[in-house]
Amino acid sequence: MRLEKCWFCSSTIYPGHGIQFVRNDAKIFRFCRSKCHKNFKMKRNPRKVKWTKAYRRLHGKDMTQDSTFEFERKRNKPERYDRNLAENTLKAIKKIDKVRVDREARHHAMRMKGKKAMERKEAAKELEQSIHMVKAPAALQQEASLTLPKIKVKVSQEQSQENRMEE
Amino acid sequence: MAASSASKLFRAGRSLLGGLKDPNGSIGMSKDLPRSYLFSQQQRTFIQMRTNLKVVDNSGAKRVMCIQALKGKRGARLGDMIVASVKEAQPGGKVKKGQVVYGVVVRAAMQRGRSDGSEIKFDDNAVVLVNKQGEPIGTRVFGPVPHELRKKKHVKILSLAEHIA
Repeated sequence: MRLEKCWFCSSTIYPGHGIQFVRNDAKIFRFCRSKCHKNFKMKRNPRKVKWTKAYRRLHGKDMTQDSTFEFERKRNKPERYDRNLAENTLKAIKKIDKVRVDREARHHAMRMKGKKAMERKEAAKELEQSIHMVKAPAALQQEASLTLPKIKVKVSQEQSQENRMEE
Repeated sequence: MAASSASKLFRAGRSLLGGLKDPNGSIGMSKDLPRSYLFSQQQRTFIQMRTNLKVVDNSGAKRVMCIQALKGKRGARLGDMIVASVKEAQPGGKVKKGQVVYGVVVRAAMQRGRSDGSEIKFDDNAVVLVNKQGEPIGTRVFGPVPHELRKKKHVKILSLAEHIA
């Protein structure tokens, strides 16, 4: 039994799933489900299809180089069964998975780092510039409580802007 | 026209009986969906009478048309033996045009289930010409072959093959 990788989306194919397609040049394409198979038949390039691992790795959304990936190489020599070795391997798999998941989470956090600050800045800018879409500038002028101190100054500017627009 | 559409429906009906996947044959699809879908929604069926197959050995034949599938009510699949008539042959080969020969299907576009639950399918329909005992007439086989042939006792073909899928 061997766990293969889907050619299109790079997910693991467990036994009993998927279709193998053998091309006449003897290249074997394995697919995990019909979604990937149909995309392949449509001749789509997995590097351009957003939800595949190939795209994510190419565009830096997921980790590309890491030492935890070295443990998952394809080995063609079967190992003689040794109970201790099997036990240790199982324990190691669990630990390596945990390490890899942690590293991926850190990579994701690094990617999303400046997001909160940027969101706040954008929101403030939107408030400044487009408050006239929500409340009319005349209303803002009358009710002093409704305006932020900054905007009180800006209202006159926007009125002149409106006059320009009316022209 | 009526005959061809009738045979198409017949084949679709056969595939329904065969319990294959989605019963929407290519007939219904062509009306609703765009042209590109016709490529992906092709129903791959059995190898039956009048099926053209490619010959992938050096016996001299190029194209062969199936006359009879020797096993299976609905048609031959990957690894089965068929009776065929040679439609196109190379001038100096062991078989001539119009000759009736036996063949073993080594590549089929219809997927075949494997014992581990996965399915395998090839790009085209190809056959290797054999004699009645199952021994190949030619001395070389081109292209990949499946290892379903081992179970069907076509070991000679496997030994001649250049790639076993």
